[in-house]
Amino acid sequence: MSDTGLLTAFSATIVFDRYEDIRAALFDPNLSRSFDKRSYEDGNIRSGIVSISHGSTHRARRRIENTQFRADVLRLYERELFPRVMNALLDVLIDAERVDLFPIGELLSVVLAARRAGIEYDAGSLDDLRALVHHVDVFSQGSAILDAKDPDAVRALVRRAYADFEREFVRPAWAARQALIDRVRRGELAESELPQDILTVLLLHRQDPALELDDGRIVREVATYLQGGTHTSAQTLVNACDLMFPRADHEDVIERLAADQLFAQRVVQETLRLRPTTPKMKRRAEAETEIAGVRIPKDAQVVLDVATANRDPQLFGERPEDFDADRAVDANVARWGLSFGAGAHQCPGRAVGGGFPVPPDFAVEADHVFGLVALELQAVARRGIRPDPERAPERDLRTERFTRWLHYPVRFRPPVSA
Amino acid sequence: MPAHVTVDPELCIGSGECVRLLPSAFRIDESRGVSVPLAGAATAAWASLARARGGCPTRAIEVTDANGDPIPGDAGGR
Repeated sequence: MSDTGLLTAFSATIVFDRYEDIRAALFDPNLSRSFDKRSYEDGNIRSGIVSISHGSTHRARRRIENTQFRADVLRLYERELFPRVMNALLDVLIDAERVDLFPIGELLSVVLAARRAGIEYDAGSLDDLRALVHHVDVFSQGSAILDAKDPDAVRALVRRAYADFEREFVRPAWAARQALIDRVRRGELAESELPQDILTVLLLHRQDPALELDDGRIVREVATYLQGGTHTSAQTLVNACDLMFPRADHEDVIERLAADQLFAQRVVQETLRLRPTTPKMKRRAEAETEIAGVRIPKDAQVVLDVATANRDPQLFGERPEDFDADRAVDANVARWGLSFGAGAHQCPGRAVGGGFPVPPDFAVEADHVFGLVALELQAVARRGIRPDPERAPERDLRTERFTRWLHYPVRFRPPVSA
Repeated sequence: MPAHVTVDPELCIGSGECVRLLPSAFRIDESRGVSVPLAGAATAAWASLARARGGCPTRAIEVTDANGDPIPGDAGGR
């Protein structure tokens, strides 16, 4: 057993921290995310989910799931659904001058993540949303299991959460969607009338052997999309503030944020570069391969230090460690660096959170997607967000990942009625 | 010079990156969840095709010249 508590023995551990080397590794089909052998055994908390599947199974799964991330769907969420839901929620959540930003970010993000995942909840019920956020917190610990300080405790916690999540949220949605799919199969309903979400497409295609789906995998897959769509957005919202607040000119930056949506998007992308959700990605060599002239033996662990690569001065300028949303970046380099990965496992929701790439001249098309976190940042900026010098933020110390928070106290302008 | 553009349906995962980068040359076949080249791909600028090729997360796009050789271009989409 390894020192992380996994039943995985690696033949070697090889670390890359250069941008192009990491990109080469992310595109190498011989390197998989199947690093935990128990991934393929019954009961593993991540068994069979798209994030750790490999090869043809992974590609088949992504083909049907990527349908939920088409540009027209992103625009619908960003321009119509989210602003209304977000502002109504913020009116309720910012009920005092002093609040904790992190749970607010989670509650904002979980609304749309749940909708995209395809689970049933009452969007007007804070109890429902808080229950979902609780599950997201547990699933997030599961997704970061390789960096967990107590992996066995995390496994037990996640298994219990899956059971509750399935019973409370997935099964009701499952029954409703299956009934609609049955109607489609009987010719009573057009397929285009089905809900647009991950659960629906999984149920619609579950008999396809290429997808390797069973009931447990469907529940875990839905949980994966709920977690992925919530956690990164909430953490990025907080990290953006944590990067802005120490600046002497942070009041000017926040004022600019409130007025300029494209600037808000660049702030988000700069935040993602400096604070990647997964600072060190890990892969396992399924077969011997070579990266940047380095021989990688079969069963080696390959560590990809994205946090370091994202600070390459040749790509991001002379002071890459600085927070500078206006920095010049070449058209062929994403402003978020490698934080969304690359290759087949590139994050499917990157445009949801971070929007489309921003061109070097900052001239975007009319159909540009800015990303939901930019909208969230603008909304809190317009409500007068500022640091709370009397209460210290609290990092999530259950993980080695330095980009995760548990609490982030901030202040807002006092409510008008106060 | 016209280019010959193909998308390997076994490798493609329907990310839509090529459609976003060059909508005149690619579309998603939603029945299969994969990208297919359009007629406009043949006459698209090589630099744009090279960028779409480089932006493909699974390297499913091939662009060749009249001799069957890959067109030159950067690693687009870094």
